[in-house]
Amino acid sequence: MIEVRQLRKVYPGDVEAVKGIDFEVAPGEIFGLLGPNGAGKSTTIGMLTTTIRPSGGSARVGGFDVAENPLAARRVSSVVFQEPVVDRSLSGRTNLELHARLWRVEPGVARQRIAELSDALGVADLLDRAVGDYSGGERRRLEIARALVSEPRVLFLDEPTVGLDPRIRHELLEVIGRLRAGTDLTILLTTHYLDEAERLCDRIAVMHEGRIVALDHPQRLRHELGRELVELHVRDDLPAALAVLRAHGIPAEDAFSVGSTLTVPLRDLSAGEAIATINDLGVATAISAREPTLDDVYLRLTGDRLAPAA
Amino acid sequence: MTALAPLATLSRRRFQLTTRTPRELLVPLVTPMLFALVIAPALKEALHTGTAYEAFVAVGTVGLLVPLNTMFSGLSVIVDRENGAQRELLAAPVPRSFLVLGNLSVALAVTAFQVVALILFALARGIDFHTGAAGLGWFVGAGVLFAIGMYGMAETLANRVPKQEEYIARVPAIAIVPWFLAGALFPITALPGFLTWVARFLPLTHGLALMRYGLLGDASGLEHIWSMGSNTAMAALSLGVVAVFAAALTAVSIRVFARTALR
Repeated sequence: MIEVRQLRKVYPGDVEAVKGIDFEVAPGEIFGLLGPNGAGKSTTIGMLTTTIRPSGGSARVGGFDVAENPLAARRVSSVVFQEPVVDRSLSGRTNLELHARLWRVEPGVARQRIAELSDALGVADLLDRAVGDYSGGERRRLEIARALVSEPRVLFLDEPTVGLDPRIRHELLEVIGRLRAGTDLTILLTTHYLDEAERLCDRIAVMHEGRIVALDHPQRLRHELGRELVELHVRDDLPAALAVLRAHGIPAEDAFSVGSTLTVPLRDLSAGEAIATINDLGVATAISAREPTLDDVYLRLTGDRLAPAA
Repeated sequence: MTALAPLATLSRRRFQLTTRTPRELLVPLVTPMLFALVIAPALKEALHTGTAYEAFVAVGTVGLLVPLNTMFSGLSVIVDRENGAQRELLAAPVPRSFLVLGNLSVALAVTAFQVVALILFALARGIDFHTGAAGLGWFVGAGVLFAIGMYGMAETLANRVPKQEEYIARVPAIAIVPWFLAGALFPITALPGFLTWVARFLPLTHGLALMRYGLLGDASGLEHIWSMGSNTAMAALSLGVVAVFAAALTAVSIRVFARTALR
């Protein structure tokens, strides 16, 4: 449903935001683009929605090349942008109707879909109020309803929960999770919330500095770090501590650090053995063991990896 | 649904947004009304001119109203970009030129409403217009084409400047300065020689000369530009100038919008 080949974007001033990425998204799949701010996620969505002009490579949405046939690519897709993109002085209903007319939904069908979607997304009672009076969560739900009025084959969600309070975020994640039920809607979402990606996505691509540095199912990415890892607060400098660990048989190829905290995936070593060894070495002020999370995968891929330098 | 249905949708949207901000309808009308109702009669008294001068100035104020209103309409482009639904519209399956043309159609409609209001006020004050069907044709043709060109300028500027403040700071130079040079309050031949020559190149000079020819039957403005014997030929030439201005600025505005809206 989405095919991306060597897609690149260079902004004026030779700022290369996306550096030749490749991925495919199957029909009905929820695919996550995960990465820190500035990783190139929103630029990628911008190119797929034809609101940003690619500098190289190609992309197809619903079988249509975004550069050669942008109108057809836009007709089969909808997007919910990171920032609020609504006519605030118009009512919610008018915003939805406008989308329906631009995507050429028959008026009768549009009325029915607006009623169904506003009900499903919990904005039915707000529809006749000006959008400027909506809360952040209400506005975001309205924008999702708007994107679905045209029954797109592909839905782009750019950081859909950013800036929302935890309760609304939780509700919205449930809504997004339900979107697929009974349809073959393909969703590409960007996020830097790892729990969100793990909860919603069939596959995720981790972006870092314009490149995809990992692409797989969330569980498989987690399993790459083994069953357990240890987290230690290091007393002295990190490379020295890492060298000591290695010298005493603790595998540290995938170790990564955040501040003075060193995280070491254990692979086949047991946490008990590792903690005993590290305690004897006296390089850490505190040690704990736990199962890897997607956060660890993300930090290993996008953060300060020590192994290559060690 | 026809291929132009999305254009109608975009025009309707802009109209809905405009009617929710009455200042867009009323503010541009204030200054020209002030000229027509207060300053022109005062000038008539002070300079001991006749009703012909009031009629001259009444048409001249159209030359202020059209640029002011179209420039005000351009502000909505910045609002759309900063706080509105521009990105949603860019992601819609419609040609990007329709976004500009949809705004233009409403700017034209609002301008027409305001010009009609101004003319009606002038008539109510006893100003006599001598016009027939052909004259009205010249007047409407000149007014519409000039408004299209000015909106193209407004849209271009709105897409080139990042903030509303910067946009507003440039409005006087674009909307008001040419009005003083284009023969709105006095014939361009009353200007110093060099400025008379400059005024002949201003689209507003041609627009005002045509509007006076159409509405008052006064071809002196056209003669000051072209110095030819045939009024119709001079009017056609001036209409051509305003048409070229409209076509060029519309094309430029669509191009600038497409280039700046897409990053």
